[in-house]
Amino acid sequence: MIAQEPRRPHVFKFIHSSDLHLGKPFGRFPEDVRARLRQARADALPRLAALARDNDASHILLAGDTFDQTTPAPNIIRQAMNMMRAADHVTWIVMPGNHDHSNATQLWRQAMEDAPPNVFLLLTPEPHALSADVTLLPAPPNERHPGRDLTEWFTGAKTSEAIRIGLAHGSVTNFESSEEGGSSVIPPDRARVAGLTYLGLGDWHGQLQIAPDTWYSGAPEADGFKHDHTPSALLVDIKGPRAPAEVTSLATGALEWRRVSLDLMGDVDAAASHAAALPALSGRATTLFDLVVTGLAAPMQRVALERAIAAASPDFLWHRADIDGLGLVHDTGDLDAIDRQGALRAAAEVLADEAADDSLPPDTRDTAQAALSLLFSYALEA
Amino acid sequence: MKLLALHLANVRKFAGKRASITGIGDGITVVSQANEFGKSTFFDAVHALFFEKYSSAGKPLKSLQPYAGGGVEVAADVQVNEGRFRIEKRFLSRKSAKVSRLDDGALIAQDDEAERWIANMLGGAGDGPAGLLWVRQGLVGLEPDTAKEKAHAMETRRDLLSSVAGEIDLMTGGRRMDRVMRRVGDALAEIATKTGRKTGPWKAASDEVDELKAALNKITAQVHALEAALEARKLAEVALARLDNPDAKARREQAFAAASAAMEEARAHAATVAAARQDHDLAALKSDSAQADLDRFLAAISSVETAQANVHAAAVRAKDAGDETQRLKAVMETAQSRYQDAVTVAKQARDVLDATRRQMAARKARDEVERLSQQVSKAETALRDRDIARARVKASGASPEWLRRVEEAGAEVTTCAAAIDARATTLCLSYAGAVRVTRDGQELPGDHPIALDGETRLDLPGIGQMTLRARAGDRDVSAGLTSAQEALSALLAPVGATSLSDARSLAAARAAAVTKEDLAQAVLDTVAPDGIEALQSARAEAGLAAGDAHDAALPDLGDLERALTTADQDESNAREALRTVEAEYNVARDATIRLQAAAETAQQMFERAMADAGPEDTRDERRALYLRQQAQAQKALGDADNVLKELTEAAPDLDTVNAEMKRASDAVEAARKERAHLNERLAALSSEIRTLAGTGIEERRDEIRGELDAARAREARLARQAAALTRLQSALSNERAAARDTYFGPVQQELKPLLSILHRDASLNFDSDSLLPSGLVRGADEETLDDLSGGTQEQIAILTRLAFARLFARQGRHMPIVLDDALVYSDDDRIIRMFTALTRVAQDQQIIVFTCRQLAFQDLGGTRPKVEIVDV
Repeated sequence: MIAQEPRRPHVFKFIHSSDLHLGKPFGRFPEDVRARLRQARADALPRLAALARDNDASHILLAGDTFDQTTPAPNIIRQAMNMMRAADHVTWIVMPGNHDHSNATQLWRQAMEDAPPNVFLLLTPEPHALSADVTLLPAPPNERHPGRDLTEWFTGAKTSEAIRIGLAHGSVTNFESSEEGGSSVIPPDRARVAGLTYLGLGDWHGQLQIAPDTWYSGAPEADGFKHDHTPSALLVDIKGPRAPAEVTSLATGALEWRRVSLDLMGDVDAAASHAAALPALSGRATTLFDLVVTGLAAPMQRVALERAIAAASPDFLWHRADIDGLGLVHDTGDLDAIDRQGALRAAAEVLADEAADDSLPPDTRDTAQAALSLLFSYALEA
Repeated sequence: MKLLALHLANVRKFAGKRASITGIGDGITVVSQANEFGKSTFFDAVHALFFEKYSSAGKPLKSLQPYAGGGVEVAADVQVNEGRFRIEKRFLSRKSAKVSRLDDGALIAQDDEAERWIANMLGGAGDGPAGLLWVRQGLVGLEPDTAKEKAHAMETRRDLLSSVAGEIDLMTGGRRMDRVMRRVGDALAEIATKTGRKTGPWKAASDEVDELKAALNKITAQVHALEAALEARKLAEVALARLDNPDAKARREQAFAAASAAMEEARAHAATVAAARQDHDLAALKSDSAQADLDRFLAAISSVETAQANVHAAAVRAKDAGDETQRLKAVMETAQSRYQDAVTVAKQARDVLDATRRQMAARKARDEVERLSQQVSKAETALRDRDIARARVKASGASPEWLRRVEEAGAEVTTCAAAIDARATTLCLSYAGAVRVTRDGQELPGDHPIALDGETRLDLPGIGQMTLRARAGDRDVSAGLTSAQEALSALLAPVGATSLSDARSLAAARAAAVTKEDLAQAVLDTVAPDGIEALQSARAEAGLAAGDAHDAALPDLGDLERALTTADQDESNAREALRTVEAEYNVARDATIRLQAAAETAQQMFERAMADAGPEDTRDERRALYLRQQAQAQKALGDADNVLKELTEAAPDLDTVNAEMKRASDAVEAARKERAHLNERLAALSSEIRTLAGTGIEERRDEIRGELDAARAREARLARQAAALTRLQSALSNERAAARDTYFGPVQQELKPLLSILHRDASLNFDSDSLLPSGLVRGADEETLDDLSGGTQEQIAILTRLAFARLFARQGRHMPIVLDDALVYSDDDRIIRMFTALTRVAQDQQIIVFTCRQLAFQDLGGTRPKVEIVDV
């Protein structure tokens, strides 16, 4: 993270962001959650505009994947352009990514029709003058998986003595920084080799510094549990032709995606561990919480955990708990909780033996284990 | 415990009596007595001895009390491990209980202590095993009648089975197991049917997966269509850009311009060639003309003499033909004259004949006019007569019918007058002079009877008056006469008749008129059947035909006809002769014309030959001229031929020029069409893309994918849950069934050999709640006890008690089995089998059978105890 410094006169100051994925459907979520998620992504545009205003940034550079699809619904495009039009204090530079590559003709045709004067769509790898002193070199992908270095032309690009800023979308060589893998190949030293003051990258949804002058901004709003940090954009301040870019991270996310892995041991208090893993109560309503429980637990602990999960679930915008990976560990005393003798005890022992029998197929053992867990739960209720 | 003897006193029908059964054996004892003996009384009394407190005054005890009242006494001699004892109880009055030793009469226990002694002997509180084993009369079920007895029997069974196998609840899990099973069943029922099919949320998830798959396939197809349309548009735009590339466009235009220039050049050259060919053709014509002039000149020279001879010969032939024609013309004119004469003669003969014939016809017509005039006259007369007669008939009312009625009226008058006359006084005057007697101024005739009626005053001129008073006549007859006369007058008056004779005259006149009318009509029908107008018309026609008929003498018609035939023949012959000579004349005339034309032609040819040849003195000069002209034209033709050849050889290949032009033109046209096509294609694709992309189908596809993943995960989770619940249900069921098998094992073991006596390979399922058989299993089928026949139910109830009794026996608790008129529903075969079962059990088990079926139970064997009933 870059420390905030006192404000100084600057030559060029802009916001670097990417991967808004407007119109992403989030189909695996319930309808109401989907609507919240989509709206949060749309709201990222005015949030970026507000950050630009608050930080005296004149431009917002979107390094690809502004749209999730090559043919988004027309209203998605129109509304995005309308939001940019409303933020007319800033100039928007929109470069295609691999999701909305430059050959998405329908998308960009409509975008060009809807774009206001303060929006520039950079669909071709040509220098673009951001100001008299600053030239932007864009490397827009023209297909979903270009598989080549689209920034190569930066090195030989003629831009006189202007400040050169690169904008690209894809993964960096020798670094697994593609959301989908192999979308394009960008050398990590491209900024240095091409004489760029700053190279803004998109595609990787987490914020990441590749080199002193090369950054992935990350998505302004998370769309999964993959990246374990607060979504944010980058404020880039270039104070002179030879001055290094000063980069500041600015939080942008409205919703939090939290995946928690809870690995329990047999003697731990499962309910207490669960309580400790939960985020603060105040933030749960805007949190998507994905709990994955593994390890081993005694039957009583498992029952307690299930009850704790059921109790906490309504706090969250979305909640999922996967406890299939939590094995049961039990002894005679645990089985006594079901019954000390008789058919119930016999059934419990049969299921326990079956679950522990390595000679049986995994499915059979898993089913027996699940049946035993249910038996514990029902026997305790009975 | 074994029963040795039973004693009752003052019980029900044994009021004031003592009844006892002694000599009860160790095995089967059959108390076989007729109905109403009191077997059930013994059963109930002994049951009360063992299971009712002596202090009780409950309904079972009151039912033992006879109508006379008093205390009820029951006693039983029993043998237990400790010895033989008598148990006695007195109920309802001076209540007491007592146990004493049989051998010496020593009192062992009394009242409450005696009750405890009995309870211990029976094996505990409640009814003890006896309640389980005893079978009341007509009981076919396994359960006693009352709730209390049921509860006792249940407890007894539970104690018994628990003592040999353990606590049922502990073994099967009891109500806790039930709750768990119910919970599992409910949870499973929420997502799966009993047959394992999906239902509820599981089915909903599965259905959703199917629906989403279908939706995904559909929208994926749309996405592919959109992608294809986008790609097609891209290609079309590239193609259009290629078409509109300035270099390519310039190349096409240059090629077209070059081809057009080549085409123009080729066309100009072709025009030059065409002009040269025209020059050549003109030269050829001139050459041919010069050659022809020369040839004609030479031919004319050689043909002048020939032409001259031809002219002469043709003139001679023309003259000869003309002469012949003139001759034939004269002959023809003669024939024509003759023919005209013959025609005239024939016409005259025909005219005379026709005139004669017309005169003859006129005369005939004149005769016909005469005849028709007569006919008309007759007809007119008849018509007139008929009309007059008809008018008379019409005017006369004296029809035959009228006359008949008049005659009848007259006859009535006559009849009435005759009747009056017969009664009346008459006066007959005979005048001698001229003086006449008058009445009322009227002279009375003489010599004629005059009827007198009433008073008649007669004037006797010169004498005075004479009054005659006739006898009064029959008034009725007079009235009838008057009426008849009035009727007659009424008939006569309208016709104008005054009397009967007058009437007859009028009728005769009318009849004559009718006859005359008929006659006139007949004449008219004969003379003028078609009416007088037709006759008049025919007469007018005949009059016209009569015309100028006269009476002068006429020639003979036959002579005239023969003269006409001759004249016609002459005319025909003359006409034929004329035709023949006309034909000859025509031939000659035509020949003359042809020969004259040939002569003229020959003359013309001669003149032409002469003209061609020219004057003889100029012919050499002219020959030289023609030869020069022919040579010049030949040379000009050679020159034109060379020019044409050179031009033709120098001409460009028009096919090639055309091909180049066509290629260049086609390229331009193809580009134009391709552009138009691409623009149309782009418009269509853009429309399709707008339609498809307008709904955000890619987003919807990804959304459906997400929904499908979620639905699949949900379905998988529910499938796992169903599998776990099914497995748990199976495990619980299996273990509970195993526990039950274990619990009911001992009684099943005792029951199996007994049951096999009646039903080979059959077994009984037990209910874990009632601890009693719930169903009979034969083969793979299980029947509930309620579905079995009464006999089978009865047999199973007894066999079950036998099995329980054997279990008691194995515990050292020998208890008698008491059957009160059991097996009432069993058929003979089954009774024998049941006897076998009873006998098998009775080897180490006391069984006491009360029965009224003495004959049927003879086959059971066993001990027959002594039954005594004595007054107290």
